Amino acid sequence: MHSLRTRTFALLAATAASLVFTAAARADQLDDIKKKGEIVIGVLGTDEPNSFVDPKTREIVGYEVDIATAIAKKIGVKPVFKQLAVAARIPELQQGRVDILAASLTHNKEREALVDFSLTTFVTGQKVLVKTSSGITDVPQLAGKKVLTVKGGTQEPNIRKAVPNVEVVTFETTQQAFLALQQGKGVGYVNDEASLVNDYAKLGPAKKDYAILPTNISVEPLALGLKKGEKGLKTLVDGVLRDLESSGEADKLFVKWYGPATKLQFDKRSFKIDNDKL
Amino acid sequence: MIELIQTYWVYFLVGQYPKGPLGGLALTVLLAGLALVLALPLGVALGLARVSPYRIIRWPVTALVFVVRGVPLLMVVFWAYFFLPSVTGVKTDQFGTMLIALVVFDGAYLAEIVRAGIRGVPKGQFESARSLGLSYAQTMRRVILPQALRHMLPSLVNQFVATIKETSLGYIIGLTEVSFIAAQINTQVFTRGAEVYLLLGLTYFVLCFGLSRFAFWLEQRMARRRDVQLPPQPLKASA
Amino acid sequence: MPSFDFALLQQGQYHDWLISGLWVSLLLAGLTLVFALPLAVLVALLRISPLALLRWLGAAYVEGIRNVPLLAHLLFWYFGAPELLPEAARQWLYAGNIELASAVVALTLYTAAYMAEDIRSGIRAIPLVQFEAGRALGFGFLATMRRVILPQALRVTVPPLISQTLNLWKNTSIATVIGVAEMMYQAAKVESTSFRSVEAFAFATSAYLAVSLVITGLGAWYHHRYPVRTA
Repeated sequence: MHSLRTRTFALLAATAASLVFTAAARADQLDDIKKKGEIVIGVLGTDEPNSFVDPKTREIVGYEVDIATAIAKKIGVKPVFKQLAVAARIPELQQGRVDILAASLTHNKEREALVDFSLTTFVTGQKVLVKTSSGITDVPQLAGKKVLTVKGGTQEPNIRKAVPNVEVVTFETTQQAFLALQQGKGVGYVNDEASLVNDYAKLGPAKKDYAILPTNISVEPLALGLKKGEKGLKTLVDGVLRDLESSGEADKLFVKWYGPATKLQFDKRSFKIDNDKL
Repeated sequence: MIELIQTYWVYFLVGQYPKGPLGGLALTVLLAGLALVLALPLGVALGLARVSPYRIIRWPVTALVFVVRGVPLLMVVFWAYFFLPSVTGVKTDQFGTMLIALVVFDGAYLAEIVRAGIRGVPKGQFESARSLGLSYAQTMRRVILPQALRHMLPSLVNQFVATIKETSLGYIIGLTEVSFIAAQINTQVFTRGAEVYLLLGLTYFVLCFGLSRFAFWLEQRMARRRDVQLPPQPLKASA
Repeated sequence: MPSFDFALLQQGQYHDWLISGLWVSLLLAGLTLVFALPLAVLVALLRISPLALLRWLGAAYVEGIRNVPLLAHLLFWYFGAPELLPEAARQWLYAGNIELASAVVALTLYTAAYMAEDIRSGIRAIPLVQFEAGRALGFGFLATMRRVILPQALRVTVPPLISQTLNLWKNTSIATVIGVAEMMYQAAKVESTSFRSVEAFAFATSAYLAVSLVITGLGAWYHHRYPVRTA
């Protein structure tokens, strides 16, 4: 009996050890994607017009969706879009559950330690949307007041830096935070300017009760997120972006989603897609 | 409220399907069903371990069950989400993550239900089986567990109801189950929060209440069947 | 994988966030308990009331609440119900801590539904003769309950109520979805700011387990000190 127990124990121990020490073969991610025949793109699906669900067709569409589709086409694989929560973007990319992030991801110094960034695809400020009835006309007046935003993005750290004693309440999605503002549960809603302008436009006649505060609490260069160290994929992605820029496609995409005919009514781009340094 | 239902009922029931992954009420029910089906074998295994005569099996499992039941389900979801891939190398999407969290969590609860079910089988059954020459494992498999599981059926249906409610936590990790969809619909229509969430509540109520009524009916039916199997009447003295 | 950073948890900003989260979780559980227990007794009495209408009301409350997930309750009481109030009431409400208030309301109603059933079972465990004797002595329904039945029912009811308190403690974690800065909220915040998921969630796990242990211990002590007296 003693030897049987020892043998069983040894077998269990060996199995456990082998499970712990199984090392996955480190192949290039680009090759993996080509082999799979599809690229998994993490998007928010809740941030109009970067990526959002068209209520009529129930499909995910948007500025970043189009850029990501162009990349998939260049690699020659099918794009598969996966909706992520704001707080989940970087963990999902790091764990390899998505191949690339097209999720309104801000390129900043802290994140460079965790992920790689493509060329900057969009530059926006971060601003605060308030109700005019609150009497707040600029950011410093938010001191001691309650602002609302989404969990896990750059919004909360930025507003805390701008207004040290502000009270911040965060929600699972930007839409919930915006809804809370409309209901009056806070005086301000913090988000990227482009998203704020979009939400502001969606208000319709209620627009007059709201205002976007003029000061930027930060400048946000948005870029696609890539797993750290994947040089092959980054070269390809940057190449596609440069092509889009030089062919004029990038400008056309901007006009399609942000231009004068859209809710945002931006006149022209203030940036070019050509740089991935801060 | 009627136009609300008319505009969004498809999205509410199936999410983006077929133009995207399955969502809404269909996803809720699928997730709950799958979780329970997978949690049951785990629950039986853990329940058996909890009554095991071997300390080396009983103690770690008791500790595991205690830990899982001492933390919120949301905590288990976060463990599965953040740590599972690095430990096992298995990369799952929100559905997989939620499924694993539910299986582990419900498995621990089912272990207790199974343990109670096993205890509920009269000791005589176990003793007679052993005296007939069956081993411990055979006794469990052929005599005890079938009886225990049958008696546990209403509890299992109630656990299914609980699991359906637990799927709502998928909201927090962005799983497009029915609560998440309701919240999305709410942000599209802005001013009808009470209506949207009332409809959500009603949906869950109809589903869960219906199932608990079914469990109750099962319980009644089994009680009746047990009554029918009366102990053998004493032999009447022949005239 | 980077090593476990204990210092993170012992002082500094992240430590402060996590500790404040723990306090809010405890506050949420405590407030809910204070309101839920009396409500649960009321609902239990409704369910065993001699009047059929009251019985139906009690049953409707319990079934209606228990068959809907807590998450949906929280969302309703935060995003749905307050909007139905008149403007002035709403302004007053939103000026305060609406997140905590909505969470307490949702949790109280939810927990009371479960506790009411446990109290009802406790009452039913008391032999009917006690009730009949009380009535025969001239006490009304409520007086009999208060003076004869409930005090006896307490011993039987406390263990399941402790179990519900344990559930309540764990349920406070769901309040994170309506912006209550309890422990899960803070742990997730620490994770997204510092990217140190292991430390943040290890803290939260230990805190939940520690309090669960205390609550379970309390139950065991009560059972030991006040065992159920059989008739």
